[in-house]
Amino acid sequence: MAQTTTSPGVPRQTATAPGVHPRPFWSVRPQTDRQSGDAIVSNFLLHWFPAKTYKPSMDWTYSFWLGTTSAALLLLLTLSGGPLLFLYVPSVERAYASIKDIEFAVTFGSWIRSVHRMAAHLMVAAVFLHLIRVFLTGAYKNGVGQGQRREWNWVIGVAMFLLTLLLSFTGYLLPWDQLAYWAVTVGTNIASSIPVIGPTVRELLLGGRAIDQPTLIRFYVLHVIVLPGALGGLFLYHMWRVRKDGGLAKADAVALLGDRIETTPVKTKTYTLLGVARGTAPAVRTSTIEAPDLTVNSVPDLTRRIAIVVLGTIAVLSLLAVYARSPLEEAANALVTPNPAKAPWYFLWLQEIVTDTTIRIGSFTINGAFIGGVVLPGLLVTLLTLWPWIDKSPLAAAGVWLPRTRRAQNAAFLAIVAIVIVFTLIGTFCRGPYWNFYWPWQAWPEIPTRL
Amino acid sequence: MSEHAVDRRDFIFRVGTGAGIAAIAYQASASLRSLVPNVSYDAPTTVKLGPVAEFPDGLKFLPDERLFVFREGNTFHAISAVCTHLGCTARAEALSSPETQQVGGKALRLTHRFQCPCHGSKYNGDGSNVSGPAPKPLAWYHLSLASDDGQLVADLAREVEHDFRLTV
Repeated sequence: MAQTTTSPGVPRQTATAPGVHPRPFWSVRPQTDRQSGDAIVSNFLLHWFPAKTYKPSMDWTYSFWLGTTSAALLLLLTLSGGPLLFLYVPSVERAYASIKDIEFAVTFGSWIRSVHRMAAHLMVAAVFLHLIRVFLTGAYKNGVGQGQRREWNWVIGVAMFLLTLLLSFTGYLLPWDQLAYWAVTVGTNIASSIPVIGPTVRELLLGGRAIDQPTLIRFYVLHVIVLPGALGGLFLYHMWRVRKDGGLAKADAVALLGDRIETTPVKTKTYTLLGVARGTAPAVRTSTIEAPDLTVNSVPDLTRRIAIVVLGTIAVLSLLAVYARSPLEEAANALVTPNPAKAPWYFLWLQEIVTDTTIRIGSFTINGAFIGGVVLPGLLVTLLTLWPWIDKSPLAAAGVWLPRTRRAQNAAFLAIVAIVIVFTLIGTFCRGPYWNFYWPWQAWPEIPTRL
Repeated sequence: MSEHAVDRRDFIFRVGTGAGIAAIAYQASASLRSLVPNVSYDAPTTVKLGPVAEFPDGLKFLPDERLFVFREGNTFHAISAVCTHLGCTARAEALSSPETQQVGGKALRLTHRFQCPCHGSKYNGDGSNVSGPAPKPLAWYHLSLASDDGQLVADLAREVEHDFRLTV
């Protein structure tokens, strides 16, 4: 041991074989140029982001950083889901009791559950707002770059939004309380209302014809493996596409505005650090299309903001979870439907729609479950998915908030969003026993809970 | 040999790719098929509901079977509590003034009406849907007496017309 006399500050002799990284970890405090280079080349974060970023793309009021917030919430959900995986038991006999244990017996259990639950709620909101932002700024439009495929990233985004909703749905079933049981009843009966294949789909979802153990284990595996896996995969592809499409659409909007400024060859140390050139400052001919006064180095300008958003989200949520307690309804009871039986807020607009869309033409009736639960949401999702190909607005409308050229489609989109929000509010505040309409200030009538 | 002829390298590439796709498709379909239940452990559909004497005149709600059993003197009929909209359990509400109507061509004393807590469907005392999203009336089920001990038996797999009455 005494033979190793490495003193601090003196570079250790390292192996020089190509491709060999002689240290156990990356170089946090590089001591040679080579180590500095390695720290950059092998840093995934720096690989993720481009060297330069358009300043306007990073404006707080352009994107509101909703995508980053969503990703931060996904990170939190993954982290808080870890301990819950150890503590929760996916069995109809024990699921409810295990959640009760997490809530009341496990140290920090209620906080971890609260983090998971609040992050899920906020993620639905953040992803929805992110979708609205991207639509209103026409950010799915391709700009000046060759081979851009922003419309596909929009499609991926819509899929991720649906996965977020499915993750929430499968998640709130797991406590196996009254909310869960009747949500499965209603949710799978919506599937069952599809003509011809409906009953088969329901049987596949339930793992039988009744809601029982096979149902719980199916939704559990979907929640902890299948859906997070799919969402994670799409997330990586979403990020990769943003990079390959040349950043946010805002960047294209900026590039469209002014003339491209040719930069003279600059002396740079970068290529020395990367180990591809010799000398301390070789002059490298650069042909950048970036306007230097509009671009900043991604490190630290972009990474700093990302850190602010991610750490800020974590901080806000950690505190929020201390104060917001997660509710737990009574244990699942197949014998009694709660009155009213309400879905979580983000599905209340659907609950409102399936209530109002039963169509009667003479003696012929179509169940609102099919119209409101399958056809209308299906149409909305289809329209949303295809919109980039329907939108024929000019290039200059991309990356700009509410441009005149997109006024009609933005108005139509906002109208649909408004309807969804109004229905959600009605469902939340104005629906009482038997789904009757009550104003929020009206008292609900007393109704015996059991016959 | 024409220009577009498949050479050996192409041929092997295509065979390999095809075999790979076929193998993955087959394994995927096998995995998915395993999730389609072959055996159903449903509760039996023919259920003994109890001795006739246990049923009072009027309505008795059986939560396990989700069934309303009505008795009017010596006649019985049973209406499902499963809402035809999305399958929640409807609740019965006693009418303040019961009335007698012709149901299925026979007189029937209607003592209750039904409401669903999930989406607000409303049904008359004979199970016919009157408002809300419910697309069709509540189901009526066949009743009989058990041959061994004379208990009331409901057949939840056998829907009947609204003229069905069991007289004991």
